[in-house]
Amino acid sequence: MSQAKEADLHVWRGDGNGGGLVRYAVPLRDSQTVLDAVTWIQRRLEPGLSFRFACRVGMCGTCAMTVNGKPRWTCRTRLKDVVENGRVVIAPLENLPVIKDLACDFSSFFGKWGKAGGRFAATATRLDAVAAIRPDSRRRRLADAGIECINCGVCYSACDVVRWNPAYLGPAALNRSWTLVNDERDGGREKRLRAVAGAGGCHNCHSHQGCATLCPNELNPTLSIAGLKRATALAVLKGEM
Amino acid sequence: MLERHETDILILGSGGAGLFAALHAKQSAPELRVTVAVKGLMGKCGCTRMVQGGYNVALAPGDSVERHFMDTIQGGKWLPDQDLAWKLCVTAVTRVRELENEVGCFFDRNPDGTLHHKAFAGQTFDRTVHKGDLTGIEIVNRLMEQVLALPVERMEEHRALALIPTTDGEALSGVLLVDMRSGVFRLVQARAVLLATGGGPTMYRYHTPSGEKSMDGLAMALRSGLALRDMEMVQFHPTGLLAGVDTWMTGTVLEEGLRGAGGHLLNGAGHRFMFDIDPDGERATRDIVSRGIYDEMRKGNTTPNGGVHIAMGHLGPDTVRRDFKGMVKRCADCGFDLAAGLVEVVPTAHYFMGGIICDTETRTELDGLFVAGEDAGGVHGANRLGGNGVANSTVYGGVAGDVMAAFVGDRAPLRDPDEDLVRAEIARARHPFSKAPGDLNGLRQTLMDLMWEAVGVMRTGDDLRRAAGELADLETELLEIGLADDHMVFNLSWHDWLNLRSLVEVSRVIAAAALSRENSRGAHFREDFPEPGEMEGSTYTVARMRESGLNVSQRPVSFSRVAPGQSLIDEAEAAP
Repeated sequence: MSQAKEADLHVWRGDGNGGGLVRYAVPLRDSQTVLDAVTWIQRRLEPGLSFRFACRVGMCGTCAMTVNGKPRWTCRTRLKDVVENGRVVIAPLENLPVIKDLACDFSSFFGKWGKAGGRFAATATRLDAVAAIRPDSRRRRLADAGIECINCGVCYSACDVVRWNPAYLGPAALNRSWTLVNDERDGGREKRLRAVAGAGGCHNCHSHQGCATLCPNELNPTLSIAGLKRATALAVLKGEM
Repeated sequence: MLERHETDILILGSGGAGLFAALHAKQSAPELRVTVAVKGLMGKCGCTRMVQGGYNVALAPGDSVERHFMDTIQGGKWLPDQDLAWKLCVTAVTRVRELENEVGCFFDRNPDGTLHHKAFAGQTFDRTVHKGDLTGIEIVNRLMEQVLALPVERMEEHRALALIPTTDGEALSGVLLVDMRSGVFRLVQARAVLLATGGGPTMYRYHTPSGEKSMDGLAMALRSGLALRDMEMVQFHPTGLLAGVDTWMTGTVLEEGLRGAGGHLLNGAGHRFMFDIDPDGERATRDIVSRGIYDEMRKGNTTPNGGVHIAMGHLGPDTVRRDFKGMVKRCADCGFDLAAGLVEVVPTAHYFMGGIICDTETRTELDGLFVAGEDAGGVHGANRLGGNGVANSTVYGGVAGDVMAAFVGDRAPLRDPDEDLVRAEIARARHPFSKAPGDLNGLRQTLMDLMWEAVGVMRTGDDLRRAAGELADLETELLEIGLADDHMVFNLSWHDWLNLRSLVEVSRVIAAAALSRENSRGAHFREDFPEPGEMEGSTYTVARMRESGLNVSQRPVSFSRVAPGQSLIDEAEAAP
């Protein structure tokens, strides 16, 4: 059987009012990502196609789309690896409002990042020396485990709980929260634990592991959320909250 | 349709410079209205985020600001503005502590818990603070969190189209933007404006910056008649990934550390050629290695896609996988085996040293306009040290925030815009909708090939003169190419067109400045003038658009702190 020279890309087109899949035939190449294929469509076939990307190397986290039903960074996904029977289905991320075609509105995602206390609370100033923290200390290692999140929204899009409960803060924001809880320089622990213990907080997580399975950076938000569950429960027992 | 909007401080860009400016402006004067307008999402586009290496700062025991400064001046081949470079090195110390202690960046530590400083090319001391090899993500994510938590107005996916002065041209009134999501034009009047859109020389066939970069900031400044300096200085990184045509992977950086760790560069015949050129082989500086690879390419000693190979496997594939985890994974995702196999590489346009002339307070010659980051010129001179880019954007972004807050506090007024210019600029942006569709992709490729071949790693007077003519023709051709679709909502093809217009305009200045510099310094190499020239008589280029056309002149470098042959550190101390 000779190798296929083209793939059928079924691309979701539409906006907040609805839309559907449109088929485009794209030539297959050896070195080609899903983002390359989407760009090819915009440049050669459909100049009106809207999507978003920036860095093209897995650093900005803005090119994520739903590819064959799963959220992925399109800049780091080879087209060949996702072609099934000659076709690929490309749609916008789920759990976020669509602006147009493949581009979503991330406002709610970043709003929740803030609500979960995803902001370092300083306890020292620029006039102070940098805190001495051993890299092998337990808390630094726990902080490091989740620190490399690039807020791409893949886990948020994959999360069933977000789908059922739009108020749920979601895995990315809670992972950030847990990272800060383990940051011994941070002064916002109490407020943060309160923020993630309430409605929409960490106790909503059902540990379906969608986030951990799909995180392109191989982080484990489920584990972070479990950490928050323990920390908030402990804080309640100790009468801290 | 034009919407009008007012603010106190308008910041264009949300990389290290823009975010720091917003943070400092709000810290200095919480009552002021601060607006950040950015071409992508807040904190999610631009190049600070893409910093791999780290942040140069004289914080380690035994290091000094003087030593950091001397490395910066010598790296810049005596062309930097010494006052800007000095302030960079001094303020970096406070800024790194601010990033760590106030913003929340969690930089890597030594085993004893102190801040780790790694070695980086071109420096006489280990002074590069980092977070693994993803330093930029840590810096911008933490900054973004701080700014998102402040009452700062966000205009995301807003493209700046033009600086709008007052009718008499004496001061800046505001900026014309287009909301890319809706296609609505928006005039934002502001008492102070920071240009921090970043450089990003994406007009070369191979380039590293993120996809939205198109040097709009410098193109706008040029059209406003501002003076730009060092516009011939384009830094090429020697090892960009070469993955063929029609892929965004091509041109992206394979990190410096691969060569430092002992990676080999092999030409198409498998010969390790760098030792034919320099006794340091692959570990020679970026400019020398880039020229070495470029020369092999011109001689046709190339790999299947027209580059050379980088080989790491002799270091032990498991070692490579462990030490360069991120790079190995990125290559693997895209089908390349960096740990054990051969990966094709080419030099790739990386950073733009040139920019708008400004003082150490980030002021420009246009009242009300400030500049920071890669849009500003003079800090790096002829070459930027790895680790000085993020220092520049964060140091001067913060300075700009403080200075603009004080400037507005001194009752800088909202000024009336030149309404004729607003109308003209809207018409200019809408221009392609009035033309029949044409081959925009072909024109982009022609531009990128021309810049690569004639205004790239190695240059000659003949090539530069030819390029100047062909770039003028390309601009004319672009103005005849229209768009198939006349809707303005999230229309990427329209923005492709506008990107190309900025790129062609700035390319013309690069070619003119390169023709004007008849010697070879740092990133600028003239095959017909290979000598660096006398350091004592160093001049820098100044380019300005006048009614009569583009004008390039030379200005003498002011050795305000140290003259060639001298040093701020004594000889015994200078030995690393």
